[in-house]
Amino acid sequence: MSLDVDERTDSGSRRPSGADRAQYGVCAFLALLGVLVIVDATGIAHTTSSTDPIGPRTVPVLLGVLLLVIAVVYIVDVARGGRAEPEAGEDVDLTNPIDWRTVLLLIGAFVVNAVLIEPLGWVISGALLFWGTAFALGNRHYLRNLAIAVALSLITFYAFAIGLGVNLPAGVLQGIL
Amino acid sequence: MTVLVGYVPSPEGEAALRAGVDEARTRGETLLVMNASRGDAYVDRGFAQQKDLDQVRRDLTELGVDFDIRQVVGGRDAAEEIVELAGSSEVSLVVIGLRHRSAVGKLLLGSSAQRILLDSPCPVLAVKADY
Amino acid sequence: MDNLNHLLEGFAHVVTPMNLLLALIGVTIGTAVGVLPGIGPAMTVALLLPVTYGMEPTQAFIMFAGIFYGGMYGGSTTSILLNTPGESSSVVTAIEGNKMAKAGRAAQALATAAIGSFVAGTIGTLLLVLVAPLVVDFAVGLGAPDYFAIMLLSFIAVTAVLGSSRIRGFASLLVGLVIGIVGIDSVSGQQRLTFGVPQLADGIDVVVVAVGIFAVGEALWVAAHLRRKPAGVIPVGVPWMGREDWKRSWKPWLRGTAFGFPFGAMPAGGAEIPTFLSYATEKKLTKHPEQFGKGAIEGVAGPEAANNASAAGTLVPMLAIGLPTNATAAVMLAAFQSYGIQPGPLLFERESGLVWALIASLFIGNLLLLLLNLPLAPAWARLLRIPRPYLYAGIVFFASMGAYAVNAQPLDLFLLLTLGLIGFGMRRFGLPVLPLIVGVILGPRAELQGRRSLQLSGGELSGLLGGPVSYVIYAVIVLVLAWPLVRRYIVRPLVEQRA
Repeated sequence: MSLDVDERTDSGSRRPSGADRAQYGVCAFLALLGVLVIVDATGIAHTTSSTDPIGPRTVPVLLGVLLLVIAVVYIVDVARGGRAEPEAGEDVDLTNPIDWRTVLLLIGAFVVNAVLIEPLGWVISGALLFWGTAFALGNRHYLRNLAIAVALSLITFYAFAIGLGVNLPAGVLQGIL
Repeated sequence: MTVLVGYVPSPEGEAALRAGVDEARTRGETLLVMNASRGDAYVDRGFAQQKDLDQVRRDLTELGVDFDIRQVVGGRDAAEEIVELAGSSEVSLVVIGLRHRSAVGKLLLGSSAQRILLDSPCPVLAVKADY
Repeated sequence: MDNLNHLLEGFAHVVTPMNLLLALIGVTIGTAVGVLPGIGPAMTVALLLPVTYGMEPTQAFIMFAGIFYGGMYGGSTTSILLNTPGESSSVVTAIEGNKMAKAGRAAQALATAAIGSFVAGTIGTLLLVLVAPLVVDFAVGLGAPDYFAIMLLSFIAVTAVLGSSRIRGFASLLVGLVIGIVGIDSVSGQQRLTFGVPQLADGIDVVVVAVGIFAVGEALWVAAHLRRKPAGVIPVGVPWMGREDWKRSWKPWLRGTAFGFPFGAMPAGGAEIPTFLSYATEKKLTKHPEQFGKGAIEGVAGPEAANNASAAGTLVPMLAIGLPTNATAAVMLAAFQSYGIQPGPLLFERESGLVWALIASLFIGNLLLLLLNLPLAPAWARLLRIPRPYLYAGIVFFASMGAYAVNAQPLDLFLLLTLGLIGFGMRRFGLPVLPLIVGVILGPRAELQGRRSLQLSGGELSGLLGGPVSYVIYAVIVLVLAWPLVRRYIVRPLVEQRA
């Protein structure tokens, strides 16, 4: 097996030659965003005055129109064979297809933290976040990870919330920590 | 039947290899050299580089042992890979190297050697670096 | 001489035990996080922002100066040892640096990188002291139309010059501009794109955007394509250089600095071009051409100095005009804004003490970095043994903590996830992230300056044309936009004629 330089460079050529149709999704996203911005802008009261002759609506409308234009140009580019170059990186192995299970597990860990941070407090939700992310990425040392996670969230809580006065909720552990 | 050596590029690993060669000879069996890594860190000192494996291959060829070398990067710990392989009917003995670890070191990282000793379905020979 | 006095005052301000300790902490964690592969300087600064939330602005920026240079240096250690350049500016360092390391000269490669970074950083910061006040003097005289033009140039430069596809660059910029207008319009007080959510009235915090796009987006992208293979690391000793190495290094350091600083100071100049220029120059001038491609020390010394000098250069437009020219400067600008400080010409007047303390701590941080990195290189290399799941779990953990701490509202965490998903999509489809960040930061200011210009002209578009400065800038914009056409119809035929 080769542990040499080529690992990164060979990723560019590996993409199949067929068009990457998922790119049309990006065009659709840009167009939808454009429509959303324009619709929102039309709902803004059009107040112009001598100190502000163009008002708050002009810029959003302009951006919305530009988004629609770029969406169309993008479609043309994709149709003419414009390719998406996925970002390479030292931890990224582009030879495999996207591993959706890992991505969804990671998003799950993230949402759990966002939902629980206020009721349970940072120490618990943050520990769950670290543990969940390590699990999602394939680490199976459950107990060791739990110890690391709890240590990290306790250290950050004491250092930042209590030491430096950063806003982190104590949650159910209020009064104990 | 074959003697399985859990190889790492270190004095302990070399000692295990020497012991494995001796065992394979006395038993009249083949030698299976195994190196495994989870492959999830940038640097794993237990992961044998190509030049280490080439050296092993040269040494074993010189010694005239019937051997096979296997390297696994499968997202599982080296101990798990070795225990699983030891469970196959082919393997008669597992040889591993031992090193001294501090109490804190063991607490933090666990010990691969201990897990192989406890979980391996076949006999395990453990040697120290100065064997 | 006035500046020198200011600078001395800045030093007097910084040299207290507490502040030196903060500088040391900044340098240490900046380097530690920067060494970790996958975390570039911009993400390092974004992730470490919350560390400074509870501090006085001056103290926070003393620490920031350390994080800034520490993060820059940490990246080069990784590219030399692992041949995995974290970002495009270290690509060149990796070419010769990794070859040197494989040939058993890792210690010399690290030493020339560390000392070269120090030399370039010190000269670069000195140039910053000399140049920034001149730029300020120039910028004070500029009116709203000129600023509008400068920002427009900045938008065009980051989208059209950098990156491979202009269409994808503009798409990214537009998304950033849209994120920038969320909230209450500062002129008319009207809500835009808030959808009635009260927390959105203040807009989406730039820190949340930066952390979401850089850190969460990267973690999701890595999760999708996790590499499961250890790379062999090269054993590191304590860095040192012999007589011969010094002789071969000092000229490349100075030449690299000369390339790096001006490019860093230009909008969209960046660090890639000067590092490549420096490499090419050293290859041409060297007395050992046979070593190039096999581990020539000049090929590490020059580009590494160029990289650091360019980092110092980016601080000129960032401090003097409030214009970020690369991702790290953009995040630094966000840090200033989170303290309610607006970089620009007035900064040197209003916050003179802060600016000069920051510049003084850049010098000190640079020196600490040298003292710290020479003996500690083997320790940094051990960080590379951290398994990737822990690394990215840590990134997500600190990203969430930082984003929540900005406003103490869970909504920001959902915004962070949304932005992370946008960042994920951008990486999947090859959209550059820098235009988005620049759009978010400069968009609202560009709108404000544009509306001010039109206010003076009573709504006539001619109001956007201010004076000679804006004429020149618009000419440059036209040139940048027309460059592909110029190249196709004028430059290429000329070259072909000659050939």
